[in-house]
Amino acid sequence: MHLQYTPEQRAFRAEVRAWMETNVPKEPLVTLECREGYDLHVEWERTLASGNWGMVTWPKEFGGRGLDLIQWLIFEEEYFRAGGPNRANQNGIFLLGPTIMEFGTDEQKARFLPPMAKGEVIWAQAWSEPGAGSDMAAISSKAIKDGDHYVITGQKTWSSRAAFADWGFGMFRTDPESKRHKGLTFILFDLNSAGITRRPIRQLHGETGFAELFFDDVRVPIENCLAGEGEGWSVAMATAGFERGLMLRSPGRFQATAKRLVELYRTHRAEAPPAAREAVSLAWMAAQAYAYNTYAVAAKIMAGGKIGAEASLNKIFWSELDLSMHRTAMQLLGAEAELKRFDNGRLNQWLEGYIFSLSGPIYAGSNEVQRNITAERLLGLPRVGVG
Amino acid sequence: MDFRHTEDQLLLAETVRDYLAGTHGPEVLRRLDAGEKRDPTIWQGLVDMGLTSLLLPDAEGGMGVGLVDAALIAAECGRACLAEPLVDTAFVTVPWLLSCGDTDALAKFASGERRIPQAHKINPYWADGAGLDGAISIDPLRLLYSNPDHAVDDPHLLNLGALMSAAQLVGLADAMLVQAVEYAKIRTQFGQPIGAFQAVKHQLASCAVAIEFSKPVVWRAAAAMQDGMDSAPQHVSHAKIAATDAAILTAETAIQVHGAMGYTYEVDLHYWMKRSWALAGAWGSRTYHMKRVDDAVFGDAHAIGPEQTFA
Repeated sequence: MHLQYTPEQRAFRAEVRAWMETNVPKEPLVTLECREGYDLHVEWERTLASGNWGMVTWPKEFGGRGLDLIQWLIFEEEYFRAGGPNRANQNGIFLLGPTIMEFGTDEQKARFLPPMAKGEVIWAQAWSEPGAGSDMAAISSKAIKDGDHYVITGQKTWSSRAAFADWGFGMFRTDPESKRHKGLTFILFDLNSAGITRRPIRQLHGETGFAELFFDDVRVPIENCLAGEGEGWSVAMATAGFERGLMLRSPGRFQATAKRLVELYRTHRAEAPPAAREAVSLAWMAAQAYAYNTYAVAAKIMAGGKIGAEASLNKIFWSELDLSMHRTAMQLLGAEAELKRFDNGRLNQWLEGYIFSLSGPIYAGSNEVQRNITAERLLGLPRVGVG
Repeated sequence: MDFRHTEDQLLLAETVRDYLAGTHGPEVLRRLDAGEKRDPTIWQGLVDMGLTSLLLPDAEGGMGVGLVDAALIAAECGRACLAEPLVDTAFVTVPWLLSCGDTDALAKFASGERRIPQAHKINPYWADGAGLDGAISIDPLRLLYSNPDHAVDDPHLLNLGALMSAAQLVGLADAMLVQAVEYAKIRTQFGQPIGAFQAVKHQLASCAVAIEFSKPVVWRAAAAMQDGMDSAPQHVSHAKIAATDAAILTAETAIQVHGAMGYTYEVDLHYWMKRSWALAGAWGSRTYHMKRVDDAVFGDAHAIGPEQTFA
């Protein structure tokens, strides 16, 4: 247990800090979930890429810096210290990218990863279908082979970023006779392909960040299939592991929120309910605990270890922490909580954040599913009644 | 930067865990409870393992290890619900005496001859007072004495005590979760093990989450104490609160999962639960430690923020 940074790690932190202080937009960007905000966030992805900060852990040949996970954590801490925007390409860089690195061919890596790291191609996920949410093995959209193409028919829904993004990834049933986890294939597709109709879904806050996707005989070249035909489930489980595990929500994000919550308490202490002060301290403690745990997991992975079902503990913890921090903020704001913009013209980021935090226990596998996984795979309790 | 225990540390903890599992199982707790509460052979076994002298330097017959190692072993003592006062002597009093340079008393603790820990004013009721008169704890194996007249008020001693209580609490929580899970696997109702019901699974999963995220806080506090960091007190308080909350949640969940059996004296769970209640309030109440965290969060002594994880 050695909890000091090396001189090299400290120098790296200074380098990130200097770049972020110069480049992070001074005012928060309009939400990513609308056209204007999406374009601003994509522009930010390209600014990041211009500094070669797109995805620091990736190998240099794919547009990264080849850094280790401790350096990644330092990068993330500095990113959120500076108030860096949400990542428009998180589906790409945090989920699909690592999946391509694990399962993709050399051609696929060379084709898809560099434009992802540079923010040139923004990715949407297409996991869910109207009848397949938590129960992802109920997927029924089909991709039937026809020569050197798959022909996709069906529907995906609640696809994050799909209203505006360039490409998407998801699982399709390549064997129409198959059931459940078998016969599924992981396919990447151009969202502008002929036959794809996007219907943006208006979300809780009134904006349209995610979308329904309708596939009517969409032809996708077979080289867009990741890993083998019929191996989609194990690929998707790996992707989901990345999503719940280390990368999607780095601790810096929550430590920054906790710090802002302390500031919010200071400016609203006169009317703050008595329990709010303790809630703020508990939020800081939980964000710190999440950071320690992430450093421990990073050290384990750097030593050759893997994360398995423990990723579910992570996902439960950060999503419920995020929700509780924003709930406290809404209490502290009192009558101002409902305002979309404060009287000084600034966006009410707490309201936006609160609404977003409500989705945390749902996306990336609902927390009910995560608790099942925890109980069954970590604690060894029996599985009954689920196919 | 490496937030991992070393192979040596994990091996030492595993050795202690195996030893306690073999010599100090629930049947021993029941025997002690029904009889004399203390068994000199158990204490002698701990002395013979070198645990009472663990933190002494190599030159003085110890293993020369630090508080991070001691915290790992304290967690094992919690897991076994060890009744002997090993943690408060060897891992609290001894490092405090080392910092005071009191070599005479050190030798007596190291040899196991002295087994009454140094008292601190924060604790009105004091364990372990085997053979002395005192208040009665609900924990049948925790032998209290009241208002010890030799109590000191040194914050370093308090921090050591709170840290090692936190470490025991995560071990206690681990053990209670295992007991509840094992019971949920064998208790059948409505034609299936109750552990197959999601209502039971989800409660136990929530305990696993709380325990998972309290442990690194304890190790981080141990490292801060070992390294003598200025911020160590806030980390200790954080650890005490996180470990207490995880243990109390797990205790209450475990009794619920055991149903009416959990309300009986014949199920072993109650020993771990009662120790958790006692340690939750010992070495500074939740209010006391929350105040210190509050000072860290709202005061100016230490900066907070994403870049301050290890400040």
